[in-house]
Amino acid sequence: MNVIDINGLTKYYGKHKGIEDVSFSVEEGEIFGFIGPNGAGKSTTIRTLLALIYPTKGSATIFGKDCIKYGHEIRRDIGYLPSEVFYYEHMKVLEVLKYSASFYDNVNPARIKELADIMDLDLNKRIDDLSYGNKKKVGIVQGLLHEPKLIILDEPTSGLDPLMQQKFFDLIRKENELGATVLFSSHILSEVQKLCHRVAIIKDGTIVDIKDIQEMRRNNYKKVMLEFDGIIDISHFNLPGVTRLTLENNVMEFLYKGDINKIIQRLQGVKLANMLIEEPTLEEIFMHYYQKEE
Amino acid sequence: MNVLLKELKLNLKSLIIWCLAQCFIIFAGMMKYQGFADSEVDVSALFDSLPKEVLTVLGMESVNIATIPGFYSVFFLYFMLLAAVHAIMYGAIAVSREERDHCADFIYTRPRRRFQIITPKLIGGVINLIVFNAVTFVASVGFIAYYNDGNGMISEVSVTMLALFFLQLFFLAIGSFFGAISPSTKIATSLSTGFVMLTFLFSVIADLVDAADFLGTLSPFNAFNAQDLVINGQLEGLPALILLAATLVFSGLCILSFHFRNLKT
Repeated sequence: MNVIDINGLTKYYGKHKGIEDVSFSVEEGEIFGFIGPNGAGKSTTIRTLLALIYPTKGSATIFGKDCIKYGHEIRRDIGYLPSEVFYYEHMKVLEVLKYSASFYDNVNPARIKELADIMDLDLNKRIDDLSYGNKKKVGIVQGLLHEPKLIILDEPTSGLDPLMQQKFFDLIRKENELGATVLFSSHILSEVQKLCHRVAIIKDGTIVDIKDIQEMRRNNYKKVMLEFDGIIDISHFNLPGVTRLTLENNVMEFLYKGDINKIIQRLQGVKLANMLIEEPTLEEIFMHYYQKEE
Repeated sequence: MNVLLKELKLNLKSLIIWCLAQCFIIFAGMMKYQGFADSEVDVSALFDSLPKEVLTVLGMESVNIATIPGFYSVFFLYFMLLAAVHAIMYGAIAVSREERDHCADFIYTRPRRRFQIITPKLIGGVINLIVFNAVTFVASVGFIAYYNDGNGMISEVSVTMLALFFLQLFFLAIGSFFGAISPSTKIATSLSTGFVMLTFLFSVIADLVDAADFLGTLSPFNAFNAQDLVINGQLEGLPALILLAATLVFSGLCILSFHFRNLKT
């Protein structure tokens, strides 16, 4: 069953395009990554799902209900961490969290304490005395305290130190194991790689591709580095399936998609000083999507 | 209920300051009356010698300010101005505060319809207006009684405060409407200030220039006549009804416009 279904969602701000014809689905129980650089339309998509802004065209359903028409009902089961975290500055952390809890039925006060302990958050500080990272922690706790069935995270880790990021990932994994579906937006691929099952890639407001993370890494490109002992003609490896081919100081690098034996055949009779064939990082795969249209 | 309580708490400090300012104005004003009374100068003659235009702007036209009711009736203009600024600013800020403070994403992603958040804000506004009005009433009766041999003119002041309350409600609704249609709090408060100044100017011009009487009908500041209220203790029904109807219309428009708004982060 799909928890989120987005169909041709389009949002224009006057003449300025926010997103165009965005469609994807998030299945129940999965952690779905949503990657793209800043300004690509991730927040616009998420804010439309939450009915903070109205779509120009298209529609989306969450838990099978229209996200605009039934927004207030749907949001009972959504936990949301906005990318920019600002709260009522003069309030104490505990006050903000209690205020947040007051919008839901039956929030267990012990849960606030438990989440705050995990995230190492001081409940008695005033919001305006907190660092950006600590405000982010307040955001995480307020997003999870009502045990939502769908967790929407918009750039959640910015401002968190690596140790906190790890604790946060563990927390999200635990919530996921307990049944929560997660939509995780980020421009940092390594974290999407660590956490997500599938990913949608967005560029300039349009979805470029939707992939299974494992499959994406398995079936996609190999990253090849060859260091020659002597001079080599660059055209020797200019085969179909080779991209981003560079040669510098006898070191040739390229991405390859296809039958690996064809590369091995080309190596016959060539004297090598070193050779490396590895999985490309998601970053490199990602760059591929961004560059192929340019 | 949670939103209402939060609104009341957020506005408590500002409400106290507004109320203290109002008490001070009434106190300082009545002190001046004492000054007139003690000086043995023929105050009426003194003011009669001033040009009509000046008296109109000061709200002292055709009032005998040598008497307590006459003197107090002049206050109504200042009450209106202060109450209008308080109410209109309250409305403009209450509706747009979360966007100004970048916490719209915090509150409008809760399981509530937008009107379920805006309505308690407006109710909070009405409660603030009632407190402001009640403080004005108590301070007025207290200070008048002090200078008027213990007669606080309770019934006349009550009628005056009722008229003031209709005006307060109207300005709150206008302010909240500006808050809902403006892209930012700054624009909403600028529009609100402009509205108060413009309508006040209309009322002054209408009083000064006979040919511009129609401007008076456009100005809420002309809805009630201070002398009728304070001296005769009478409240006209029609202006009160018109203000109430306008309040309902603009509150409705506020809720409607806010519902269709694209909220900023």
